[in-house]
Amino acid sequence: MAGWPESPRLIGTEIPRLDGLAKASGRAKYPSDMNPPGLLHGAMLWSPHAHAKIKSIDLTPAEKSPGVKAVVGVMKEGATVRYQGEVIAAVAAETEEKARDAVRAIKIEFEVLPHVVTEAQAMDPKSPEVFKGRGLANNTRKGNVQKNGDPEGGLEKADVKIEGHYSAPVITHVCLEPHGLTAKWDGPDKLTAWASTQAVQVTANELAGRFEIPATNVTVLTDVMGGGFGSKFGADLWGLLAAELSKKADGKPVKMFLDRAHEHLAAGNRPSAFAHVRLGATKDGKITGMIAETHGTGGASGGANFPLPYVYLVENRSRSHSDVFVNGGGARAMRAPGHPQGCIIMEAAMDDLADALGMDPLEFRLKNLGERDVVNQGGAPAPINRTKVYQDQVRIGAELIGWAKRKPRGTNGAGPIKKGYGMALHQWGGGGAPDKQVECMINPDGSVEVRSATQDIGTGARTILAIIAAEVLGLEVKEITSNIGNSTFKPGQASGGSTTTPSMSPPCYNAVLAARAELFEKIAPKLGAEPGDLSLAKGQVLVKGEAKMSWKDACRQLGMVPITTLGKFTPGLSANGVGGCQFAEVDVDVETGVVKVVKIVAVQDSGLIIDKMTWNSQVYGGIIGGLNYGLFEERVMDPTTGVMLNADMELYKLAGASDIPEIVVRAYETEEMKARGVIGIGEPPTIATAAAIGNAVTNAVGVRVPHWPMSPMNVLNALASNQGKA
Amino acid sequence: MKAFEYAAPATPELALQALDGKDSEALSGGTDLISRMKDYVTSPARVVYLKEIKALAGISGDASKDGLTIGAGTTLAALLAHKGLKDAYPALHQAASEVGTPQIKNMATIGGNLLQRPRCWYYRAGNGLLAMKDGKSLVRDGDNRYHAIFMTDGNALFVSPSSLAVPLVALGAKVTILGAKGERTIPVDQLYTVPKKDGDRELTIGADELLVKIVVPAAKGKNASYEARQKQAHDWPLVMASVHLEMDGDKVSDAKVVLYGVAPIPYRSEAAEAALRGKTVTMDSAAAAADAAVSGAKPLSRNAYKVPLTKTVVKRAVLAAVGNRYWEA
Repeated sequence: MAGWPESPRLIGTEIPRLDGLAKASGRAKYPSDMNPPGLLHGAMLWSPHAHAKIKSIDLTPAEKSPGVKAVVGVMKEGATVRYQGEVIAAVAAETEEKARDAVRAIKIEFEVLPHVVTEAQAMDPKSPEVFKGRGLANNTRKGNVQKNGDPEGGLEKADVKIEGHYSAPVITHVCLEPHGLTAKWDGPDKLTAWASTQAVQVTANELAGRFEIPATNVTVLTDVMGGGFGSKFGADLWGLLAAELSKKADGKPVKMFLDRAHEHLAAGNRPSAFAHVRLGATKDGKITGMIAETHGTGGASGGANFPLPYVYLVENRSRSHSDVFVNGGGARAMRAPGHPQGCIIMEAAMDDLADALGMDPLEFRLKNLGERDVVNQGGAPAPINRTKVYQDQVRIGAELIGWAKRKPRGTNGAGPIKKGYGMALHQWGGGGAPDKQVECMINPDGSVEVRSATQDIGTGARTILAIIAAEVLGLEVKEITSNIGNSTFKPGQASGGSTTTPSMSPPCYNAVLAARAELFEKIAPKLGAEPGDLSLAKGQVLVKGEAKMSWKDACRQLGMVPITTLGKFTPGLSANGVGGCQFAEVDVDVETGVVKVVKIVAVQDSGLIIDKMTWNSQVYGGIIGGLNYGLFEERVMDPTTGVMLNADMELYKLAGASDIPEIVVRAYETEEMKARGVIGIGEPPTIATAAAIGNAVTNAVGVRVPHWPMSPMNVLNALASNQGKA
Repeated sequence: MKAFEYAAPATPELALQALDGKDSEALSGGTDLISRMKDYVTSPARVVYLKEIKALAGISGDASKDGLTIGAGTTLAALLAHKGLKDAYPALHQAASEVGTPQIKNMATIGGNLLQRPRCWYYRAGNGLLAMKDGKSLVRDGDNRYHAIFMTDGNALFVSPSSLAVPLVALGAKVTILGAKGERTIPVDQLYTVPKKDGDRELTIGADELLVKIVVPAAKGKNASYEARQKQAHDWPLVMASVHLEMDGDKVSDAKVVLYGVAPIPYRSEAAEAALRGKTVTMDSAAAAADAAVSGAKPLSRNAYKVPLTKTVVKRAVLAAVGNRYWEA
């Protein structure tokens, strides 16, 4: 099978996304913008309590409420709700206001039950056992101890040891477009849904399964969508409810999108991470042992595990992890699930140990990479040793941030504003799935379409498929119609795990290569040439390098029949396994605890880059997400009432434009990397940012700030505790 | 949001008629009321829109001579654009410039800023201003990171939400209120009171009254504000201090020090004022005033960090008033 072009014209250059202008100008229609004729508006009754039994529920007042067309109950009398935001019933009405009024008209009585909403509350032996029947003590599921080598002995051998308690809170996805879909029945067994989803086919299959209709009768459309980050993989209960309400309302379309509060409460989150870490090293900086006890909460249902140790080679280690259950919405995958937490915990401990050793933390990190860390070759000519890659990346990043200006922890001058530098390493997979397909059509009028049932969650998937087709056919990117976001097309990849581009690029490439071959077969005789003599460039068909016919004229030779080909995955075009490092420069005001991030540097590999512009955009977005995790985000739960206190975008804090630092992105794209083929970039660049910022803050202020985010409260508390005040 | 009647009167007098004092709310920029209505924290039967009343907007007077009269309906954007504001009242200018976002400044009014309801997350979750449940304070037992550190023996633990009230109190500003019995004029600090029991309001202005204007006298000396906030963009101050220093040569002859974010009212620190009187403003005297400002602070379980933070903002506001911005060096 053919490899990627050796001297590409388009691949690897900076190409604006095809729908960029439409998105930026507001013309793009997102699923939540779809208002088909006859639209009804959905609204849900959700639990205001963290834990309660429904003593009685009467939907009749909602049914009789003005403008109401359908009501569906989810929970019946006697059912138990386990978190604020759990859905109890749903209504469809002529207007959003009427739907909300109807929801409020539902008569419901709760028996409020004892709850636990914070990790400390859940684990307190005095707290109620809320999750009975799961065989838990203190609402905690203890994991097995994972042991390797001789951790205690390793720590005993250490010349220098540190012991740290670190934590990062639960955060939520805060997708700009909320979760939801608009569902519409055409007859008793045909359903269309405009869904904000990362997986059109998963959503379609769920809808088909729920209503027991053929999967081919369900069309899920996601032309564009406003962010998912791992939280939008299916129809979800609210999507099924929209379809059910529509069915009850004679097929009228029902729009059901969550409001912002419900997004925070019920649409997923990243679990918290708490760690007690002991780490030791020889005086020349070789780690001898690590013992870590960790826990976290993924809410009422989700787990909270994360990788630890992370990146570095720790031969003598033990790790025990517990999942703590609380009466909160369940965790969902969130951009590099587990890795940002593991990175924070590991890199904080690494930094503290480097400080205790009196060693440059960059040097200390390099000393503790495995000698050989071979990642998936993916058909590349030579194995990739990630340790070597990290060494290069760290050198580049250090140069770009000005690491030489870094001073040892706590020696950053007498004034109130202290400058600090920090760094962190990360890794991810990002390989492709081998079972996806792309169709390519070359029409007699010269138009070209590639299509598949994947979707663009913002990563640039639509543009990337068009770039590949344009590259092969010698056309401009805008001449290609990239048709995705439709569940009825050939199987496409669900967008999770940074897999969309590596899954979809190979079948796209193969489909377009096959279409080109078929075109050459058909027109070669007309040019008096062999198919092997033909090539395409600049909208022309070339024979032995000489332009003979325009693209359009060549396609016209097809008569009435377009060329239609199907491309499948072939090995060698994509690979798995990436690494990267990030550096942060911060200014911390030690009299206010306010952190200003001055600069972030990211050095990242991801094999062959198709579109440098959307690639950079992914890295910028990842860093900004990581900066929010580092500085601002935190789900705050009230222990007494069991509710989330900041289920909004006001006290759930997120960066605004003026909080964004200078961001320097450097693709690590050597010839060796390019030869690996395509690897996904969505997740890796968000992993290390918060860890690097925390380490920079600690370097600036002179004491470990052990709790994320780096808020004035957490920074001032760390400073006070160091002075024995707290 | 509950359905409501809507009135958009053209004069203050008609507005008074529409504000029946029972179940009505005045709407101006809407940056607070609309969110409360959406969250069912406030569900009035009638909303009285004030922005049609031309007489309520606009600024008159000369800031450098005899002071300014600011219509309650003046937007923060218009206030900030007013010539001379920054020179005469840097304390007010600084505080106004740090409110919200450009969009919010274009909508929000100075009157609405003074009369917005507390941002306490227990209040906004529908637990009432005092947030008491079964005789216990949700705030005291809960997450009180953004709550008061003074007057915490009582049950009103929220912090007064107006960051403009603080410089206005420091500058000795007054507000004029129109009611059924005519106009009355009171100092800005008398707009606020500490609620003692459920149902008490933190504002002294009646629900059937109209805030008409704010009169800021000529500054008698130097003034400044300093605000500490977590985010650079769109955020509330954690704490803020406004100071107004009357000078006799190099020495402070009189001082006003008012704090935001520490109490259920704009909190005047008489101890800090006393510490400044008769002193020249130096790093040491500013630090001494800052220490004095937090004497008697009784933080709650999670907001002890506000004590050092309050010291910092007092010190910086005092120094900023005399042009020493040491933290920018």
